[in-house]
Amino acid sequence: MKGDGDFFALLPERPVLPLFGPSHSPPVLEATTVFAFHCAEGVIVAGDRRATSGTVVFSDKTEKILELDAHSLMAIAGVPAAAFEMARTLQTAFEFYRRSQLQPMSLAAKVRALSKLLRDNLPATLQGVGTVAPIFAGLEVADAQAKPVIFYYDPLGATFEATTFAASGSGALTIRSILHFLENWGRPRPQDMPLDQATALAHRLLLTAAEFDTATGGVRPEKRLFATIKLLNREGIRTLQPEELERHWQQAAAS
Amino acid sequence: MTEEPYRWLEAIANRREYIREQLKGGTPVFALSRPEGIFLLGVGQGLQSKVFEIYDRHAFAALGHPVDIERIRQAAIEAAHLEGFNRSAADVTLRRLISFALSTPLKNAFEQIYAPPLIVESIFAELGDTPAQDVLVRLHFDGNHYYETSGVVVAFSDPKREEEAATWLRQNLSPTDSLARVTSLCLTVWNALMTEKPCAELAPPAQPLLQIEGRTVEAALLDRRLSGRTRYRRLDPAGLG
Repeated sequence: MKGDGDFFALLPERPVLPLFGPSHSPPVLEATTVFAFHCAEGVIVAGDRRATSGTVVFSDKTEKILELDAHSLMAIAGVPAAAFEMARTLQTAFEFYRRSQLQPMSLAAKVRALSKLLRDNLPATLQGVGTVAPIFAGLEVADAQAKPVIFYYDPLGATFEATTFAASGSGALTIRSILHFLENWGRPRPQDMPLDQATALAHRLLLTAAEFDTATGGVRPEKRLFATIKLLNREGIRTLQPEELERHWQQAAAS
Repeated sequence: MTEEPYRWLEAIANRREYIREQLKGGTPVFALSRPEGIFLLGVGQGLQSKVFEIYDRHAFAALGHPVDIERIRQAAIEAAHLEGFNRSAADVTLRRLISFALSTPLKNAFEQIYAPPLIVESIFAELGDTPAQDVLVRLHFDGNHYYETSGVVVAFSDPKREEEAATWLRQNLSPTDSLARVTSLCLTVWNALMTEKPCAELAPPAQPLLQIEGRTVEAALLDRRLSGRTRYRRLDPAGLG
């Protein structure tokens, strides 16, 4: 038999998943666009709905903005298998801590917990089959004056706090450029926008990213296909419903 | 000597008596299935709690030694989260928690006469989509337990008085009662149990009774109306009026 070596050396010669095209690439779902920015009512966390495997659109109904607890959100970019498992682990860890210790986990500990999971995922990241670069938005629950904060990570677990916005995934460069421009020269700046303007902006950002990135999609407001958009503030997390997003979209188009 | 059967029986009887004696200082806790959700109430002192969240749709209220309450609470939380993580939140059921994670260790602790017993009388509650689907379990210190179908459970150190109190609550509550009235009736019974007054002679209070002087009234609701995963929320009893 040809192909002595380890399992990964053998895979290209003896593919186990012929479903994924002639290249027999493994079913790695990646490329996406998720982002978070401050608006007047809190932090908006939004994402497109497309999951791809190479050139194949795997799903256009993927939920990439995941609620970890009542005041924590994780936006996932990268390999969903690893990202969903991280989110599930964090959901259980945060709730277990809150219930068993009778106090919520601090924001710093939550941020660190995600960093540690990314670090533990290092072998899969290096092999190229488990890369995850998430965004985390949270709020220090114990501090009555605290405002929501955005963090972003590199795939090895390094943590960075975003002052006004963060974006991750294959369409992130476009989004970052636009948000940078708007934060400096926009009138109003995204951080001063009311919720309706902020959700309309989120859709326009995704549509722009999708223009230059085939892996970003599943969002077509004119066809009532809206992005996943969640608002985080002191009251907790609110998922914006399609009816509300449609109203915001139409208001923005009319103005 | 305890290898002899009658000695062992005597030791168990002594142990039961000892635990009942220890429980006499405890104050009753309540769980009631209501249209809004499952209402739980306990009366503690200072920061000591008697009502706790266990999992998304599960709660626990107990009286007994604080250390033992904590051990049972931790065991329940660990078992529920492990099950929820390995399978799904829908697979966390009270029947499995009680049967496999709680009643067996309680029975073992009670019958191993050279080890200290767990001095806890408790109630576990699981929220359903409707009051008819709610599950209320009364768990005793020896692992014995029963599923209560009337929608009202009281845990107290004296089984006879406990049943008297539950009966009075069943007779005086209706599904349309507000949570303020439910609290008021629970605290009326609480006062009667603590002052050894017969429950049959009680009348519902003319003015809502929402606080006990010098004590902390703890109330919580497994809220059927909430849409998120976590249904447990603390209530401010004084604010219910």
